[in-house]
Amino acid sequence: MPKKYHIHPKATPLEMDYIYKFKIVRGDNCINCGKCSKVCIYLAHKRSEADPRIMADPNTAVCRNCFRCIQECPRGALEKSLDKGFVNTGGAYWKPDMLISLYKQAEDGNVPVSGAGYRGPFTGTGFDSMWTDMSEIVRPTRDGIHGREYISTSVDLGRKLNHLAFGAEGQLISKVPDTVDVSLPILFDMPAENLSSNIKLAMIKAATELNTFVIMPVADITNEFEKHSGNIIPRLTAAEIDGHKDVLKNARIVSVEYDAALLKDFAGLKEKIKKISSALTIIRIPASKDVEQTAVKLAHAGAEIIHITTDYRGQELNNPSGRHLKDIIRAVHLKLVEDQIRDETTIIVSGGIGAAEHVAKAMLCGADLTAIDLPLLIGLGVRIFEEQEKYLVFPDGLAKIPTPIITQRMINLISAWHSQILEMMGAMGIREARRLRGESGRAIFFEEIDKDTFGKLF
Amino acid sequence: MKPSTVNIKRAPSRFKHQVPKYKITRSDDCINCGTCAKTCPYGVHERVEGHNKMKRPIDYKCIGFECQNKDFCCVAKCPRKALSLSLNPMYATLGDYRWTADMITGTWIMAETGLPPERKDIEYNIGNSGGGFDKLRFKFPAHPKKVNKSEISTEIPLNRRNDGRADVVISTPVYGGGMSFGSVSLPTMVSKAHNATIWNTFTCTGEGGYPDNLMPYSDHVITQIATGLFGVREETIQRVKIVEFKYAQGAKPGLGGHLLGEKNTESVAKMREAVKGTSLFSPFPFHSVYSIEDHKKHIDWIKEVNPNALISVKVSTPNDVDMVAVGSYYAGAHIIHIDGGYGGTGAAPDIAKKNIAMPIEYAITKVHKFLKDEGVRDAITLIASGGIRTAHDLAKAICLGADGVVIGTAELVSLECVRCGNCESGRGCARGIASTDSELADLFNEEWATQRLTNMYNAWNVQLVELLQKFGMHSVKELVGRTDLLKHIDYSHETELDHNG
Repeated sequence: MPKKYHIHPKATPLEMDYIYKFKIVRGDNCINCGKCSKVCIYLAHKRSEADPRIMADPNTAVCRNCFRCIQECPRGALEKSLDKGFVNTGGAYWKPDMLISLYKQAEDGNVPVSGAGYRGPFTGTGFDSMWTDMSEIVRPTRDGIHGREYISTSVDLGRKLNHLAFGAEGQLISKVPDTVDVSLPILFDMPAENLSSNIKLAMIKAATELNTFVIMPVADITNEFEKHSGNIIPRLTAAEIDGHKDVLKNARIVSVEYDAALLKDFAGLKEKIKKISSALTIIRIPASKDVEQTAVKLAHAGAEIIHITTDYRGQELNNPSGRHLKDIIRAVHLKLVEDQIRDETTIIVSGGIGAAEHVAKAMLCGADLTAIDLPLLIGLGVRIFEEQEKYLVFPDGLAKIPTPIITQRMINLISAWHSQILEMMGAMGIREARRLRGESGRAIFFEEIDKDTFGKLF
Repeated sequence: MKPSTVNIKRAPSRFKHQVPKYKITRSDDCINCGTCAKTCPYGVHERVEGHNKMKRPIDYKCIGFECQNKDFCCVAKCPRKALSLSLNPMYATLGDYRWTADMITGTWIMAETGLPPERKDIEYNIGNSGGGFDKLRFKFPAHPKKVNKSEISTEIPLNRRNDGRADVVISTPVYGGGMSFGSVSLPTMVSKAHNATIWNTFTCTGEGGYPDNLMPYSDHVITQIATGLFGVREETIQRVKIVEFKYAQGAKPGLGGHLLGEKNTESVAKMREAVKGTSLFSPFPFHSVYSIEDHKKHIDWIKEVNPNALISVKVSTPNDVDMVAVGSYYAGAHIIHIDGGYGGTGAAPDIAKKNIAMPIEYAITKVHKFLKDEGVRDAITLIASGGIRTAHDLAKAICLGADGVVIGTAELVSLECVRCGNCESGRGCARGIASTDSELADLFNEEWATQRLTNMYNAWNVQLVELLQKFGMHSVKELVGRTDLLKHIDYSHETELDHNG
């Protein structure tokens, strides 16, 4: 048996306040009877330490919204509301509940579990407009999540052959290209924000421990990271290649920014990189209206790996009314399938990947793997605001938090995501993450099922 | 029509205060004259004899903005204009898209009074999810056949196979879902069974064994067999009229069952024949069932153990649920119970609740059609669950093709669940419904809980009968599959005036 892949989460709290959902205010008609402290099982209400005759201000950080104090206070003196910090943070895509959940996952590495049924909207936009399927009775190759030891999340990066060719003697005559294996379908993509060095280093260390990669601008790659060069993907333009030969030399993969000129002499570009290093090449393309056409041209030209990026909410870049990542991936995937070249190239997608479910769904739509950025920062207590425009608020003192703590929180977050991906794969009866790619038969798309069911009836 | 055992009595909230929708603010201009206390018939304002000051307004008693049309409205009557009325920010912390604060409040009123709320200011029939049932409306005929309410039957048969097994008929097309001892408290479980007996319907043990306290209600209890086989014995199979195989649960399809260690208390462990404090997992799937033939073998086993019992097969709603339903029919099941993706649970990964398998609205339509095309629809009972919140959801589910429904959350809300979602961990439910903690499981008694459930079932039945009357029908059985009586606010564009709802 090959060595099994394990991630080791460890509870790693940060001493700071993040977003709290509820706020309880004690009215001035409180008679300090202490009933609230008796009925609250979460210890939100306590007597004041300084003066035990009076009740302390409620600790709403622990409030779980059970309403007992509200309903049992003899004077009706307690008032609860949604906290302003909760209401104002995030936006339509990065919902505050999602931010709280990511922060918590980074803290303990656990899969978020709760009681009662689903509480959200029936459907939504982007990834919220699809469900994953499961298999009920008759698929013999499955053990649900209880066979999770046997579910593999690893995926390959690189060019694959359409078929193998053999000579007259039966000998293999195809030259099989190199691929790189990552243990889970998630790469880290260094956010564009100006990050302190402890965060950058932690991203690299976490990626190393998780057996994945960090994509980072070549200019950021300093000597201190040399030890980890096997897990860093330098990102640069074609013109910058010559100036960074030493970085490229050690890299296993490089990421080159797409430029229309690249297509004119793609072979030349590959030749140039090959002279410096044996690294695989990613071509990074911002998603635009016709990105699928570009992707097909690149694939035919011999691109091994294509990385399609969208904005932080998964929208086409510079086109707020454009498609969401989900639809972009489906378009790219189907176009490549149509051109019979899908199996030969690897597709990475990024932008708007904000939860474990997005990884699995992006793959069902047709991506081989994803790259993430903001969730790693949210796990450190960074807050996102979408209105009026994207704005990040970093917690005070983040730059001073020791790297091992930050690294562990990133590992925790990915551990929680990994477990959640296993849950989904277990339910689908899929044991290989590679098989998730484009497996639309295991997905249910709202537009299709709604039209097919209600559209026909009404 | 309700059985004669149903007796409606008021069963008020067990808490001093309820969750207010409105807020009355008293400004400093108040001179404590007491006019408001005299005018308000609902008791919002109180002026205690001998006190200088008015008491703080009791917000939850206020009927809200509709009061402004009445001549006793405190805001208008106050000589100093010191009172103002607004929406209470607290209301925004109750409920969610699927179960809105209004829907929870409405269900509480039903459980208290036994009737649908008279208040016009709460929308208790439709949630805010923006899809499925929440986008369906009824189309009532302009001139329905005249039918007396007393002539309308809400009975449905559960055995439609004519195979010589028990002819089980339930008086209302609703029964209680499986909630195990361990996931819920004993008073919750027993009151569910007691109510099922009163209403001549059923409740289900869930997968946690069959506590002795359920024995008086055995004729109305379904024994559930799930993959962990907790509490499954020959006598618990022989004791009941219906045995349910749970293949999967809508909230966590494909993931099996979970009871976290903290909730596995001494009594729970004893019932499940397990070790106290350990987390208990029911694996997925049944390792004895990997084909439809295996499934038949399973059903045959139970039929052998209990020669009179009906067999129900509970599955969740994947794409091929229609095929599973037909397979279950041919394997000999009497009831196919489909549990939709948005169903309730005592504990499930959030990722599963939101994403895995389809919502029940699609599945009912699919399964009903497939069974019909196969020519076996009339020989099997189709039961839907997982997102049936109200009497209107019930009627819509039947119009889409179900014979009846199973409910879970609605029962718990009747017992004053606020859907805070913390049933899974620690001591469990702070409100004593889904907890086996020695203190918390003792917060209410069975008598009160049974009455609340009986009242809620009655309110639903009243609403169902009203709907059937508007459709001019004598029996709920006539409603099955009548999608022509529904419209969808996205797809239907008729202009007739004869439908609303």
